[in-house]
Amino acid sequence: MLRAISLLRTINRYVALTCGVVLLITAAFVLSEISLRGLSLPNLGGADELSGYIMAGVTAWGLSVALTERAHIRIEMAVTRLRSFWRDVIDVVVLSTFAAIATTVTVYGWRVLSKSIHSASRANTPLETPLWIPQVFWWSGWIWFSTTSCLIAIIAMGLFVARRSEELRNLAGTEEDT
Amino acid sequence: MIGAVVSVLFILLAASIPVASVLFILAFGVDYFYSPFPLTRGLGQIVWSSSDSALLTAIPFFILLGEILVRSGIAQRTYAALDAWAAWAPGGLVHANIGTATLFAATSGSSVATAATVATVAMPQAEKLNYDPRLFAGSIAAGGTLGIMIPPSINLIVYGFLTETSVPRLFLAGLVPGFLLAAMFMIITAIICSVYPNLGGPRRTASWVDRFRALAELIAIAILFLSVVGTIYLGLATPTEAAALGVAMAFAIAAARRTLTWKGTCDALVGTIRVTSMIMFVILGAYFLNFVLVAAGVGTKLIQFLENLGLSPFGTLLSIVALYILLGFFMETLSLMVATIPIVMPIIVGLGYDKVWFGILMILLIEMALITPPVGLNLYVVQAVRASGKLTQVMMGVVPYVFAMLLMAALLIAFPQLALWLPG
Repeated sequence: MLRAISLLRTINRYVALTCGVVLLITAAFVLSEISLRGLSLPNLGGADELSGYIMAGVTAWGLSVALTERAHIRIEMAVTRLRSFWRDVIDVVVLSTFAAIATTVTVYGWRVLSKSIHSASRANTPLETPLWIPQVFWWSGWIWFSTTSCLIAIIAMGLFVARRSEELRNLAGTEEDT
Repeated sequence: MIGAVVSVLFILLAASIPVASVLFILAFGVDYFYSPFPLTRGLGQIVWSSSDSALLTAIPFFILLGEILVRSGIAQRTYAALDAWAAWAPGGLVHANIGTATLFAATSGSSVATAATVATVAMPQAEKLNYDPRLFAGSIAAGGTLGIMIPPSINLIVYGFLTETSVPRLFLAGLVPGFLLAAMFMIITAIICSVYPNLGGPRRTASWVDRFRALAELIAIAILFLSVVGTIYLGLATPTEAAALGVAMAFAIAAARRTLTWKGTCDALVGTIRVTSMIMFVILGAYFLNFVLVAAGVGTKLIQFLENLGLSPFGTLLSIVALYILLGFFMETLSLMVATIPIVMPIIVGLGYDKVWFGILMILLIEMALITPPVGLNLYVVQAVRASGKLTQVMMGVVPYVFAMLLMAALLIAFPQLALWLPG
């Protein structure tokens, strides 16, 4: 089980690096547009629109990074006073809510993507981007988040049944416990 | 319905369910129990349209900017430079703490990052020069809060996005109160250390040559701040474009000083994605909850509820301020903000208050939440960096600065022009 978590963390580190590089390229593109505009030279335009698509994609793919890196905010003031058993129960519930929410958004997200494909929707902008292109990257990020969160929830349940509290804590606790 | 929403919100938060999940669960619940239409059907579209935002791209850019500055050792040089200029005043290095925090607040968008950076650089000096640990640590925790008030501020971007308020106007509105608050922190330090000189450590005087040499260290960071804020102020760039410019300048500064390694760059990128996604998940939850609450008619019900209470607009405002101060003891900043915006904003708008002004007031109250125990993140950040001593010392140390913040809140309410003058 722990090997699976370690593998997920390693994959997500590469996911994060890739997203980071994409962000850097976006920043460079935005800068080139400012420079060309400042010099009153013709420019491609569309940096605003593209950076929005990048943000949607980076967010969706980054969610599983935040999950495996335990970045999500939890207010643990009351829970720290509970007995170990109940803390474990809450940790399993917490990881299950991630899986449930991710799966629900993925299901409803598919409706958005399939509608864009069927009606050949295009952005109402000068670029007239076919919307299915950025939405494929966005939706695939949500699939990855659903997969990761479901796997982690199953692993958490396994750790709970095996009464491996400390490992469960390492999986569900926040890095900066409040 | 309002009572049920608020109760479930706090029960789930207290049960340590992650903030983003709480917001989604609440939205599903309101839809299921109170809405005549199946609002969850719009979930996919809401999540897509709220994350496809050029404005929100400024968030990872500003986080990356801060990560690069922190990892390239610019904080140490800034601190040494401010030490040369401020060490003569009553309170000595405590002013350097507040000054460094102010400068870092002006270039990074996060209060916790600001407090952590300054604490790492400053704490060894406190022990060496025999400063009172309470005031010294308290000044860092409080100074760090300026990160979300002085632009660029990630929290102001989130506020602007959720309340449909102009982010450039919010950034400009945060400038005067932010710097005024920093000045109040310094004045209050000087007064305390004049009355009790043993708290402030030795007063030292640097030569003018050293001072001007140190000034050179501050030029790069000042240019970075002026470029980011100046381009927004002059209308030359949007917040996202200014943030991209800031990232390029931060890389240029780090490259010129040869302080950023390949590993440091990779870590900065991974850290940026990690924090951005965490914030974005909360924003997506808040946006969906906002949509559901508005569609279910909560805004109207809230206004009716308040009208029945018979409070004047000013009385309502004071109740909201008191509520934020109270909640600030128990809630983390981003959660406090996004969880209350859908409930509080319809009231504020309904009463005719300015959204830009209220944004700054809310940020100030949220800054206070960062240093009020038991849940005050900056207290723990500073304590984590200290080698010894109790957490209660940091808690004691922030008391004068909490007083300054309360004073600032009163000033903002009495003189809204403090925030509205610059954007106006």
